[in-house]
Amino acid sequence: MEETNFVLLWKEQYEKIDQSLTINRQLLKEVISQKAESTLQSLIRFKTRGIVAVVIYLLLLGILLFYAITHYSSAANYFIISMAAIFVINLKALYDYIRHLILLRNINYDGSITEIQEKLSNLQQSIIYHIRFMVLQIPFWTTFQLSDKWFPHDVSWGYIIFQVLLTASFTYLAYWLYKNLTLENVNKKWVKGLIEGSGGKSVIKAIAFYKELETFKQVS
Amino acid sequence: MALIEKTDIFLSVIEANKGIIYKVANLYCKDLEDRKDLVQEIILRLWKSFDSYNNQFKHTTWIYRISLNTAISFYRKEKVRKKVTAPFYDSIFNIADFSGVTQTEQSIVFLNQFISELKEMDKALMLLYLEEKSHKEMAEIMGITETNVATKIGRLKATLKDKFSKVEI
Repeated sequence: MEETNFVLLWKEQYEKIDQSLTINRQLLKEVISQKAESTLQSLIRFKTRGIVAVVIYLLLLGILLFYAITHYSSAANYFIISMAAIFVINLKALYDYIRHLILLRNINYDGSITEIQEKLSNLQQSIIYHIRFMVLQIPFWTTFQLSDKWFPHDVSWGYIIFQVLLTASFTYLAYWLYKNLTLENVNKKWVKGLIEGSGGKSVIKAIAFYKELETFKQVS
Repeated sequence: MALIEKTDIFLSVIEANKGIIYKVANLYCKDLEDRKDLVQEIILRLWKSFDSYNNQFKHTTWIYRISLNTAISFYRKEKVRKKVTAPFYDSIFNIADFSGVTQTEQSIVFLNQFISELKEMDKALMLLYLEEKSHKEMAEIMGITETNVATKIGRLKATLKDKFSKVEI
């Protein structure tokens, strides 16, 4: 087939459509009026499950923490410190995640295709760093149940060793996960499993696309 | 600018360039419901960006950029129903559907099929080529050099030619 025929075929295909294509102005007006809806609202609707789950989790933690502080006793020191750390880590991760999504959504698409797509896929990929920040709370889940009343003075050496080993191993686990939850490892099964549902599929697609984009930009 | 006046100008721009949005959506989404979502998203993106429209570029360049950027990002979302139709070679029974259609119609079906098999960025470039944009305009929209545009268009045409020669219409 001659080269020019592609263009002719294309024209032929859209000739009739171009003539008969009409716009439903009423619907179009309705679509653009949706813009009045706040970015945050639409985002929350878009990522509802994940965000709502973390907000409920934070509320529960907040209530527990508030109760422990307002009914303060030194016996609750471990609990307060652990819960506060867990609360702050989750709050920061959620804040960063939402801020990131807003940033992603507010990119003006009128730049060149390579420039905007590069920006978008970079942002999508880096969502993984907010997810990995949350693993830092793991060790605090091994210390919240301790109390100044009985730990360490009223427990056996065996229990102390067990507690130290438990916290140390969970600290190592958190460190290991933090270090290994990276873009380079995103194709590993366990990473995929962990980030699935938190925008993980988009991250994987963004990485694949980024490679396509790099190849596309090259002149060879 | 008052909102009503802005809306009217925006609607006229969309009216004058509706074909671009239609073609981009058609090229990137084969599922009807996805396509409706994509058109809405493109319109919203255009509206959002309308205030900051840069007169340095033509309306068409602006619309191509936003439509293509939206369409290319759209397929990376989590819940897109179906990216492209199954490749022709995977569904041999599709040939039966072509009986009775003219040779040109068959060629159009194949052209669409082969374009849908291209990578996302190549698909965008091919669309601009088929819409007879100049190399300069293609380079502006895509953000690559004119030399790169020429090289890539040459390759894409060769790929399509090769695919057409295999189906021997």
